[in-house]
Amino acid sequence: MAINYEVPEDKRLLYWLGDKLIEYRHPVSIVVIIVTAMMAYFSFQLRLVTSFGDLLPQSHAYIQIHNRFSGTFGGANNIVVMLEVKEGDVFNVQTLNKIWGMTEGLDKVYGVNHNQIDSIAHRTVRYLKVASGGTMRATPVMLQPVKKEEEAAAIKRIVHNAENIYGLLVSLDDKAAIIRANFIEGRLDYRRIFEEVNEKVVKPFEDENTKVYVAGEPRLYGWVYHYAGDVFWILVVTYCLEWVLRWMYFHDWRGSLRPTITGLIAAFWGLGFIHVIGLALDPLMLVMPFLITARAVSHAIQMHDRYYEEFEKCGWNKRRAIVAAFAELFVPTLSGISTDAFAVLVILLVPVVMLQKLAITASWWILAITISEMLLNPIVYFYLKPPEPELVVLRERGIFRKGINWFTARLLSRTGRITTVAVWLGAGLIGLYFMRGLTIGDPTSASPLLWTDSPYNVSHQRAQDKFGGVEPLIVVAEGYDRDAMKDPDMLRKMEAFQRHLERDPGVGYSFSLADIIRAVNMVFHELEPKWGVIPSSWVDVGGLFFIYFSGSPPTETAKYVTADYRTAHVTFYCKDHRGENIRRIMQRAKDFIFQEQLADLGFTVAQQDGKVVITEVASEPNWETAGPSWIVSAQATGQTPFKVGDAITKIGKVKVEKVEDLEAAITKEAANKTLIDFHLLRDGSVTETTVGVPWKAMFKLAGGLIGVLAAANEELVRNDALMNFLGFFTMWMIMLFTYRSFAAGFYLLAPLFLSNILVNAYMAINDIGVNIHTLPLVTVGLGFGIDYGLYIVSRVIEEIRVRGDLLDSVREALVTSGKAVTFTAVTMIISTAFWISSHIRFNAEMGLLLAIWMGVSYVGSQTLLPVLILMFRPRFIMKESRYAAARTRVAAESTTR
Amino acid sequence: MELGLWSSVAIVLGFSFLVVFVDEWIVKPMRHKRWEKKAASGDKEFLHLLDIARNAKVVDE
Repeated sequence: MAINYEVPEDKRLLYWLGDKLIEYRHPVSIVVIIVTAMMAYFSFQLRLVTSFGDLLPQSHAYIQIHNRFSGTFGGANNIVVMLEVKEGDVFNVQTLNKIWGMTEGLDKVYGVNHNQIDSIAHRTVRYLKVASGGTMRATPVMLQPVKKEEEAAAIKRIVHNAENIYGLLVSLDDKAAIIRANFIEGRLDYRRIFEEVNEKVVKPFEDENTKVYVAGEPRLYGWVYHYAGDVFWILVVTYCLEWVLRWMYFHDWRGSLRPTITGLIAAFWGLGFIHVIGLALDPLMLVMPFLITARAVSHAIQMHDRYYEEFEKCGWNKRRAIVAAFAELFVPTLSGISTDAFAVLVILLVPVVMLQKLAITASWWILAITISEMLLNPIVYFYLKPPEPELVVLRERGIFRKGINWFTARLLSRTGRITTVAVWLGAGLIGLYFMRGLTIGDPTSASPLLWTDSPYNVSHQRAQDKFGGVEPLIVVAEGYDRDAMKDPDMLRKMEAFQRHLERDPGVGYSFSLADIIRAVNMVFHELEPKWGVIPSSWVDVGGLFFIYFSGSPPTETAKYVTADYRTAHVTFYCKDHRGENIRRIMQRAKDFIFQEQLADLGFTVAQQDGKVVITEVASEPNWETAGPSWIVSAQATGQTPFKVGDAITKIGKVKVEKVEDLEAAITKEAANKTLIDFHLLRDGSVTETTVGVPWKAMFKLAGGLIGVLAAANEELVRNDALMNFLGFFTMWMIMLFTYRSFAAGFYLLAPLFLSNILVNAYMAINDIGVNIHTLPLVTVGLGFGIDYGLYIVSRVIEEIRVRGDLLDSVREALVTSGKAVTFTAVTMIISTAFWISSHIRFNAEMGLLLAIWMGVSYVGSQTLLPVLILMFRPRFIMKESRYAAARTRVAAESTTR
Repeated sequence: MELGLWSSVAIVLGFSFLVVFVDEWIVKPMRHKRWEKKAASGDKEFLHLLDIARNAKVVDE
């Protein structure tokens, strides 16, 4: 059937397209059904998986260090099991045997790195024993289960005398012991680890006097997987409630069914695509599919409402109504889907694989709504029986419609307009004030993924309280040559580093080779405390290391130092992973490393007139020339390559303009080379001076949980503002093409911008930080917020073409499209807000946050946007009134004739 | 009670059929009866609705 009735000239093509879709409904349906069936099959193959490596910004320098050394020095995937007794201490037969059994149990858990277990009952934790004949050897603290109380008392003595055990693996009050295990990143099966830890480490050993606490990232994700089943309850409750709501709104079961079809098809296409490209669902990202499906349902509700409206207008002609609804909503729907899909793509900027995968899949999923909502929509309506006309009329007469009419009248009055602008300005200013507190990273010490009183956070907090810190920050000391770690200066530097960072309130304690060497030296000298120092010669250090490590295989010693003594680490156990603490600790670490480097080079610097100038040159070290380079001399030469007043302009190829540049340049240049090229501006000319580094090893940041979180936070800080800008810019560009107006984007983005401020303020007030989990959801919210406005503006344009009067057109848009927008906002808010019942705090907070976002954006589009349009009378809308004027002129002319 | 994928699918499908059933065979007849009563008492709005229900010609090609 051709379009042989009057349709708006500028939309004739869309009417034709809608009609053709109905005409060719059979082949289109068959293709869509086949593809959807395939995608549905793939959807059911999808699994919940979290890939730890995907959560890390792989290009970041910290992560590269983490990746290189996590296999030997320990990574971010540690499980900390703490056994605590209520009465007495841990040094009795029963409790020590429990620690033995738990250590054995943990050693058998899937994915554990057998050489990276710390426990007084593990073979790798040793103490120095003087054997008969005066020989010394390092022996495991516990070689077998304890049989007598005398053996337990002996272990107590050993622990109290071992600096690398007491306070680190056994608490200072003797009431708790820790078993720490690192897991191999490639073998992280969180669900299996969770169950096996419960079966082998926790359940068999708990009794009235003994409590077992388990913390650490693999355990945390294990709990997340454990609670992931919540999604089914939330799905069922949301689905049923939404069906009832839609049924009440449309007074017809078709109104409930039709959006479900859209949501379901889009979900199959989205989930199927995730599987096809080899990805999996992350349990922490389950809110995202809900949100996208809710968005699909929301578009479908708009379309369904419009179909009913057109059904009445078209004199109960089903086909005409279908085609008209399709054509009239084509622009706002396509534009809405495009803004959603492309705004999400800006997440690609963050170099975190999981976020990039998420951006691609979410974008595809949203684009899939085009198929279910636009391509298939006319066909589905054509197959469905038309609604009863009386129900269509009834829909316009309920209390809901009356409420919308009443509100619109108040809003568009003079007082209403002034009040709206004033309230939004006030809210924006208050939001700006509070959003200053928004943090990058986690704002609380407990894991924000689970509730504060969850078993995980209780365990985590208990272990932190008892041991002062369980979250590791690993700083690698990488030497240029073998035996670099036997250099007494290097060991002293490690010790100084430990003392420096331990002064930070966020660091509990630390551990390095320096602790071992001091403890061994003391034992070697009959436990005299005054010998608990680092020896002053390489030979003595080497001898002590030999005594301590000689009885251990390289696989065991590797967790302290590499077999060639080239590389070791300093590990700081931090009290929490608050974003602000991580930033401060990392800055302190960087400052220490830089100051030590300057001290080794023998000068101090200051920023003067935009240059980095040497302000003081120390008498040490002594320098001498060796060919074209300067090297440190053992003799007092009185020579130095540096002079007071020299300005450092470049190091290697890196320009130096600030002190921070110098720090970064030295870190980069000296990372793998022993020669640094200084470009010094001296007496007006630049001289190139090559200096041999005076240190044996470089401290390199950073591994461990704190190191990888620092990397993620730094990437987020670097990209957050850019992402927000690009998100808004993308939407503005789509508005530019949709309405062919530069101003349109500003009108539509204004309420969204204010919503953004208010949501950020809410996050700051409620201690929700921006991290790799919250970021994608917040960005999706950004794109989704604009859809409401699109429907309103498109309807205003449509109405002004007929009515010619702006106030009338805005009023009509609000009571027609605005009514549907209100209903879709309600359904979307409900479908996301139900997540608040989740055991996973992250999902609950994100659900609530997105519900608030939807709510604020909706209120903005329903109040501020129409008021702004009425106040400023934008040209891209007003120019459309010429159609009405032309129509009036034609009508007047025909009357005159 | 823990829900799995298939039990959830069963519940939502069952609920959907229940809504369709309740709408078609319980609510609609009840609604019409109520309108007729109201129309009989002279309510113009319900007279209009009944009129549409009886006389509107739906074109379903």
